[in-house]
Amino acid sequence: MKALTANRLADGEAVFWNQGQWVPRFKDAQLFEDAAVAETTEGEAKSQQTVVVDPYLIDVIQSEGLWAPLSFRERIRALGPSNHPQHGKQALGGDDIAALQHAHGAARSTGRVNLIKRK
Amino acid sequence: MYRYDNIDKAFVADRTAEFREQVERRLAGEITEDQFKPIRLLNGLYLQLHAYMLRIAIPYGTLNAAKLRKLAWIAKTYDQGYGHFTTRTNLQLHWIKLRDAPQILEHLAEVEMHSMQTSGNTIRNVTADPYAGATADELDDPRVWAEAIRQWSTLHPEFSFLPRKFKIAVTAAAKDRAATKIYDIGLAMRRGRNGELGFEVMVGGGLGRTPYLGSTIREFLPTRHLLSYLEAILRVYNRYGRRDNIWKARIKVLVASLGAEEFGRQVEAEWAKADHERTDLPDTELARIRAEFTPQFETLSPRSEALERAKAGDAAFARFLRHNVHPHKAPGYALVDVSLKTPGLTPGDITSEQMNVVADLAERFSLDELRVNYNQNLILPHVKLDDVPAVHAALAAAGLATPNMDLISDIIACPGLDYCALANARAIPIAQHIAERFADPVRAEQVGELKIKISGCINACGHHHVGHIGILGVDKKGEEFYQLTLGGSGEEDASLGQMLGPALPADKVTDAIEQMVEVYLRERKDGERFLDTFRRTGVTPFKEAVYADAH
Ligand code: SF4
Repeated sequence: MKALTANRLADGEAVFWNQGQWVPRFKDAQLFEDAAVAETTEGEAKSQQTVVVDPYLIDVIQSEGLWAPLSFRERIRALGPSNHPQHGKQALGGDDIAALQHAHGAARSTGRVNLIKRK
Repeated sequence: MYRYDNIDKAFVADRTAEFREQVERRLAGEITEDQFKPIRLLNGLYLQLHAYMLRIAIPYGTLNAAKLRKLAWIAKTYDQGYGHFTTRTNLQLHWIKLRDAPQILEHLAEVEMHSMQTSGNTIRNVTADPYAGATADELDDPRVWAEAIRQWSTLHPEFSFLPRKFKIAVTAAAKDRAATKIYDIGLAMRRGRNGELGFEVMVGGGLGRTPYLGSTIREFLPTRHLLSYLEAILRVYNRYGRRDNIWKARIKVLVASLGAEEFGRQVEAEWAKADHERTDLPDTELARIRAEFTPQFETLSPRSEALERAKAGDAAFARFLRHNVHPHKAPGYALVDVSLKTPGLTPGDITSEQMNVVADLAERFSLDELRVNYNQNLILPHVKLDDVPAVHAALAAAGLATPNMDLISDIIACPGLDYCALANARAIPIAQHIAERFADPVRAEQVGELKIKISGCINACGHHHVGHIGILGVDKKGEEFYQLTLGGSGEEDASLGQMLGPALPADKVTDAIEQMVEVYLRERKDGERFLDTFRRTGVTPFKEAVYADAH
């Protein structure tokens, strides 16, 4: 299962694809069972140059009956920094946030599909 | 404190207006992200995990109250009400919106600040000894030279597209508080035989994937030739640096592959060809810059009765004096450290409210001056001894008086995976956990000087290679793991740390630190710091302690 994520151009916020819209909460992200559909959608997202920066697919897993990004890095993007729990999306609280916080056992820092690191 | 002249002002204003237009064009879709990214990076604007990050240059780590208040206001208005000081003595704001960035640059320009060349393959913000102008052990105020380099290097057309980023640090003191040996160019002022001042020029230091300490290519360069000699170094690097391979593009790799001697020879040949007059600073300009760095000290008694009285009745204040207050060149004054290392909080983070407190203290008690050091703390450089009790009380009330400078809880940590798009693992929670374990000030004082430095990836922004204990976050089969190194130093006795053993999972790191501290306390001989004991005993006893029960 995959989701499609990016950072919004105007403010840099981590956002997720849902039916052509970009939403800030991971629980609202559209999930793709079919890899081919996911890739086509990624291509479509990449053409939205004035809306988002650098869209990419991520792997998702189940946590507490809800979905969570597989990678720890992506969970931090979906939550906010662990040193300032009052900042970022995690401040909103809710079951979906708790599920992301409790997700474990998965890869922690990689998991982004086709990740290339540049500095 | 250097004040912009009309040329500086017009230059920064032009640049800000240019960036405003570039942002508008990007938002309107007239330029692509690929075209825009290098432009925003040249203005210090990164895109990270949660938002844009703006890295604001603090040239040679010097601030005044007006600048810090402006930073506080920007952090409150455009960010989440806090900022993060880095090992490069810059300030990072981690929650910036692209559409606000031009406005922020305009506000910065009002207080003679900018974010140019805090990123990109350029000559980055120049750093200097944070004790500059306040310490008795310096030959000159290194900021005069650092400011000259700032003016010369900012948007220098020949050096705006170097093979890779380029960092210069300057000191004029025997004690190296500017980590000059881990810089692309480290400049350390020396006095020549005839009394003339010059620089020892070190080249090719740097951490990251292939760490090196700088090599001296010239023992003594008369100060007046500084800029022409830097130009010669940059030219050789610009010509031969490895543009084909990002991992080999830093000058350290060129210096290592040619050998320092051959590299130095090429620089000398380049320098011999150049018209020095054209590049070197005229005496009049040097005098203009120098005039901005001449604080007026009062004639005071070297002993303060008020301070002695306060010390006698207050153990916490006495401890603060031992660790956070340092001798000044002017009798009756002291340098006072502002600790951004409260155990349990994020190293280098400071709230807008705290910035305002420190700005007020600088204005009232420190000749309107402030410094940032690479340990991610602040310094009030010119405090009268009589005023130290009042400064301590105000800092303590704001949570900025932890008496832990250079102790085990004074930990350097980069932003790591909590913010940074390049990270492999988190750095901040590791620092928080260790500092909390050693939060007892009596215990920390017993352990004494121990510098822990943590990076969230091999880029080494947290200087882990030169920590007495270095901690590097690595990705091991998708889990956060931490590699420990021992025996590094970034000071005049610089050395690169030695690997302790296999990487440890996050929840074992603090225990390992504690085990190594126990070994040190057991093994240490009179007056030895952790580093000294390690250098005498080698890695074996530490390794045994940490890995003993792993089998
Ligand atoms: S060391 Fe790595 S993780 Fe830390 S700030 Fe630098 S690039 Fe980011």
